[in-house]
Amino acid sequence: MTLTAPVQVDVPLESVEPAKTPRTKRGLVMTLVLAVIALFWISPLALLVITAVRPLADFIGNGPLSWPDQLTWANFKDAWGIGNFATTYKNSAILALIKVPLGVLVSAMLGFALAKLRMKFRRTVMFTVFLGLTIPIYITIVPVFIMMRSAGATDSIFGLIGPYLAFGIPFEVLVLQSFFRQLPDEIIEAARVDGAGDWRVFFTMILPLSVPALVTVAILDAVATWNEFLFALILLNSDAHKTIPVGLLNFQGQFANNNTGLAAGILIAVVPILIAYTLLQRWIVGGLTAGSLKG
Amino acid sequence: MSNVTRRGFLGLTSAAALGAGLSACTGGGTSTGAGATQAASNNLRLFTYEDDSTIGLLKAQVKKFDEQNGTTTTVDSLPGSGAAVYPDKLRTELLGGKGPDVWRIWGGQIGAPFAKAKQSLDLSPYYSKYGWDSKINTTAIGGMTFEGVKSGVPFISLGIGAWYNKSLFAKAGVSAAPTTYAELEAVNDKLVAVGVTPCGLGGKYGWDIMRLFEYLLEHTAGPELHDKLLTGAESWDRPEVVEAFTLFKKWQDKKWLPQGALALDPSDVEPWYVQGKTAYTITGPWTEAGAILAAKKSSSAFGNFELPTDKTPARHSGFVEGYMINARTGNADKAAALIDFIVQPATQKAMNVTASTVKGAEPDPKTLPLAAEWAQKYGGNPFYTIQDQAFPKKQADQYFSVQSDLLQGSVKPDAAAKKMQEIVSAWAKS
Amino acid sequence: MATTVALTKPKRGGRWSPWLFALPALIVYVGFLVYPAVSSLWFSLTNWDGLSATYKFVGLDNYLKMPSDPVVVTAVKNNLIWTVVTIAVPTVIGLLLAIALNGKVHGKPVLRLIFYTPAVLPLVSIASIWGWLYNPQYGAINSFLRLIGLDGLAQAWLGQDSTALWAVMVPAIWLRTGFPMLLYLAALQSIPNELYEAATVDGATKWQQFWNVTMPSLRPAHYIVLALSLIDSFKVFDMIYAMTYGGPGTSTQVMGTWMYFNVFQYYQAGYGTAIAVVITLVAIAVGIPYVRSQTKEAS
Repeated sequence: MTLTAPVQVDVPLESVEPAKTPRTKRGLVMTLVLAVIALFWISPLALLVITAVRPLADFIGNGPLSWPDQLTWANFKDAWGIGNFATTYKNSAILALIKVPLGVLVSAMLGFALAKLRMKFRRTVMFTVFLGLTIPIYITIVPVFIMMRSAGATDSIFGLIGPYLAFGIPFEVLVLQSFFRQLPDEIIEAARVDGAGDWRVFFTMILPLSVPALVTVAILDAVATWNEFLFALILLNSDAHKTIPVGLLNFQGQFANNNTGLAAGILIAVVPILIAYTLLQRWIVGGLTAGSLKG
Repeated sequence: MSNVTRRGFLGLTSAAALGAGLSACTGGGTSTGAGATQAASNNLRLFTYEDDSTIGLLKAQVKKFDEQNGTTTTVDSLPGSGAAVYPDKLRTELLGGKGPDVWRIWGGQIGAPFAKAKQSLDLSPYYSKYGWDSKINTTAIGGMTFEGVKSGVPFISLGIGAWYNKSLFAKAGVSAAPTTYAELEAVNDKLVAVGVTPCGLGGKYGWDIMRLFEYLLEHTAGPELHDKLLTGAESWDRPEVVEAFTLFKKWQDKKWLPQGALALDPSDVEPWYVQGKTAYTITGPWTEAGAILAAKKSSSAFGNFELPTDKTPARHSGFVEGYMINARTGNADKAAALIDFIVQPATQKAMNVTASTVKGAEPDPKTLPLAAEWAQKYGGNPFYTIQDQAFPKKQADQYFSVQSDLLQGSVKPDAAAKKMQEIVSAWAKS
Repeated sequence: MATTVALTKPKRGGRWSPWLFALPALIVYVGFLVYPAVSSLWFSLTNWDGLSATYKFVGLDNYLKMPSDPVVVTAVKNNLIWTVVTIAVPTVIGLLLAIALNGKVHGKPVLRLIFYTPAVLPLVSIASIWGWLYNPQYGAINSFLRLIGLDGLAQAWLGQDSTALWAVMVPAIWLRTGFPMLLYLAALQSIPNELYEAATVDGATKWQQFWNVTMPSLRPAHYIVLALSLIDSFKVFDMIYAMTYGGPGTSTQVMGTWMYFNVFQYYQAGYGTAIAVVITLVAIAVGIPYVRSQTKEAS
C-alpha cells in the first residue's frame, strides 16, 4: 500500500494555517475533484434509477443504456405487486426490528463483560468469539437446516433470527468491547461508590455513552440483515414468509427478466436503509473511537 | 487456550459430530418414505417457478380446482433465471422433511435425481386411471420417465429454433429462411456484410450458447449418432464431434455471434433480435410473448424457422416440463386430480401455455401467431434432448467449460472432443 | 494514542455477574455458529449426496480428492488474489476519500451519501447493473473507452478468463469502499488539532505528520476495517455467484462458489462440505494473527 498524495495529507493541517484565500481556493479544487469522482461513482446507480422509470417495452425494445423514450411511475406500482412487497416488507421489517436491537444488546452485554468485568476465561472467550469473524456463513447451512427442521422452525422468519444473530455477534462484540474499554474507569468507579450494580452501570452509563458505536454496528447489522439472501432462500418456503431479497427473484423469469420492474423493486427495497442511514450517519461521524469523549 | 478448555472443545466437537450424524441419519431415514407418509388432508401445496407473467393464470386455475373439489391449495413460486435456483431449493425443501405435495420440474437430467432418490411418486397407477397415455404426447412422457418409471406428467414440450427479425433479413437481401446449413452460413455472411451481428446468444450459465453447439453437432453427427453421444454409448473422440467444435469456433471467429458472447446474460441477449441488434436468436416459442409482445412490437415483423440440419429426419432441440408428486404426500389422489385438472385442454388454454403436450390445446393463432405457426409447422417433428437436460448439472457445467475454453482459443477442437469424451465416459460409467 | 487509552482494569462485580452478561450472546453464538460449523466436519467425511436417506463414511477421501480437482486449484488461486485486492484497494480508496472529505470541501453530506450508497444495494442489483455496463458491444465501459480513443482497450471484460476475475472485483470495490471511508472520516475528525500543532512545532514535514500522527491515530479504525474485510474477503461467494456464476468456464470459481455448486447442484454434499471445511480452516489460520492482536489489545 502506498499513499502518494501529499495534497490530501496536508488537508488536516489547513485549519492551522492563517491564510484564507488559498484555503478556499484549494477547497474549491478539492470539491471539484471529489464531485467528478462522485459523478462516476454514482453513475451505475443512475442507470438503476433510469431503468426504474422507463416502460419495460422501451427497455426491451432499445436496451438498458439507451435514453428512455418516455418516463413512467407505473413500474413502482407493478413492482409492488410482483415483488409481493406488502408481505416481504412486513417480514423483513419484523425480522430487522427484532434482530438488530436484540443482536446489538446481547453483543453489548458480552462486550461489557469482556471489557469491564472480571471474568474467568476472558481471553479464551474473546478468542473464540473473534474467531467467528473468519467462519464462512455457508459452512453452517446444511447443519443449521437440519437443526431447524427438527425444531420445526423452517419456513418461519423467526427461524432466521438465531443464525443471523450468531453471524452478527463476532463483529459487534469486537467493535463494542474495544469501544467500552476506552470509556474511563473513573466514572464507573464513582457510580459503584454510589452503590450502583453492574446492570445499572451497563444500562445507565455504558450504553448512553456508547451511542456512536451502537449506532455504527446497528447500521451495518441492519444492512446485512435486510439484504441477506442465502439463508433466507434455503430456510423459507412459502410466499407468505419470504423476505425482500428472496422476493426480488420474482422479477427473473425462466426465459426473460423484468428488468424495469426489478430496478423499481430494488429502489423500493433500499429506501428504508437509506433513510435510516441518512438519519443516523451523524452519530457515526460524531466519533466512533471514543477519543472525542476524552477531548 | 488452556488444556482444560482444549479438551472441552474436543469433547464438544465429537459430540456435535455424533449429534449431526444421528440427526442426519434419522432425518434421512424418514425420507425413504416407508411409514413416514403424512396424514391425508384437504390441504395441498404446489411449488413452481413461474414468474409474474403466468403465475396469476396458474393461481386462478388452481382456485377453480379448489372450488370444485373442496381442497385448499397453496401455490408457492420461486422464479429465477433459467434452472439456476429452483432445483436447489426444491431439493432442500424435500430434505427438510415436508416438501410440497406437487411440484413443477424440467424433464431429463434435471428431474431425474428426484426420481432416482425416490422423492417423487411412481405415477403409473394415475396414468392408467386418467388415461394420460392417450391424451399426452408420447415423446414428452418419455422425457419424464426415469429408469422405466413414469415419475412426472409433462404438460409443456418446447422446441428450439431460430427466431429472426424480418427487416434485418431484408436489409441483408435475404428473402427466404435457409433450408440447408450452407444457406444458413450464407445468410450469416450477408448479414455481417451489412454490419448486422447474425446470431444473438449469451454464454453466462452456459446453456444458451450451447443451443448453437448442439445444433452443429446434430448437423455433423446426425440423429442416431447424436443420441448415442448423449448417453455415452459412442465415443466423443471422433471426427464428427471435432467438426462440430470447429464450426462452433468458426461462428465466433467470423463474428456470427456477438462480441464477447461468453459472458453475456441470456436474458439480456435474447431480446436483441427484437431490438435490431442481432438478426436472430436460437430460442423457443416463449420468446413471442416474452420478447416481441413485451416490447409492444407486432409479431408480423418477425419469423421463425427450424435450424436446417441436412439430416433425416429433421430434428430440433427440445425439452419438456411437467409435474411430479411427492412420494411422501398423504394426498396423492388429490394431487393427481389436480394434475389431471391442469392437463385438461381448457385449463391449458386458460393458462396460455404456448407449447402444450396436450392434444387440443394448441396456441391460439390470433394472440400468438408465430408460436402457433411453429407448432403447426414443426411441432410434430422429432426432437433431441436439449443438452443441459441430457447431462447431470455437473457434467453439463464441465461441458460448458470446454465450450468456453474452445471459444477463447485455449483448447483446439480435437482436444475439446477428447475432453468431452473424458467427461461423458466418467459419468456414463458411474 | 493507544497508550493513553490503556487503563488499569479494575475488576469488579460478583463471580457470576459477568457470565449473566456474557451468556445470552455466547449461547446463540455456540448454538448457531460453532456447533453447526463443527458438525459440518462430519458430513465432510461421508459420501452423502445431500438428498438420499443413506450415506457411507468415507474417511478422508473427500479431502484427498481435492488436490486433483483442477477447479479447486483455480479456486484457491482466485481466493488469494481476491482477498489481497479486496482488502487493500477499498481500504486505501476509503482512506483517501476520508482524508479528502475531512478537508475544506463543500457539500460533504451529499458526497458522503454518494460514496456510501452502493454499500446498501442488494446483490441482485449489482449483478444486473454491472452486467449492462460491462457488455462488450453496448456497455457503457467500452463505449467510454472508444469515446476517449482507447478502442484497443475495449474488450469482453467478463467474457475471457484473463480479465473476468478482475472485472468482478471492480463492483466489489465499489460496494465496499463506503464503510471504510465513513469510519476513517469519523476517526480523522476525532484527532485533536494539538497533535498536528505540536508536530509542526517539532518541524515535522506533512508527510512525516501523516505517518507519525494521522496513521497511529487511525489504529482503532484500521482494526474495524480489517475485521470487516476479514468477514467479506476470503469467504467471497455471492459476488461471484451473481456476476459470473463461476464462468467463463470455471475461471472465476472461488472456494465458496465451488462448495455451493457441489453441495446444492452436483449432489455431492460430502465433497462440497469438505471444501467448506478447508476454506474455514484457511480463513481461521489467516485470521488468527488478527484475532490474537485484538485479544492482546484487550488485556
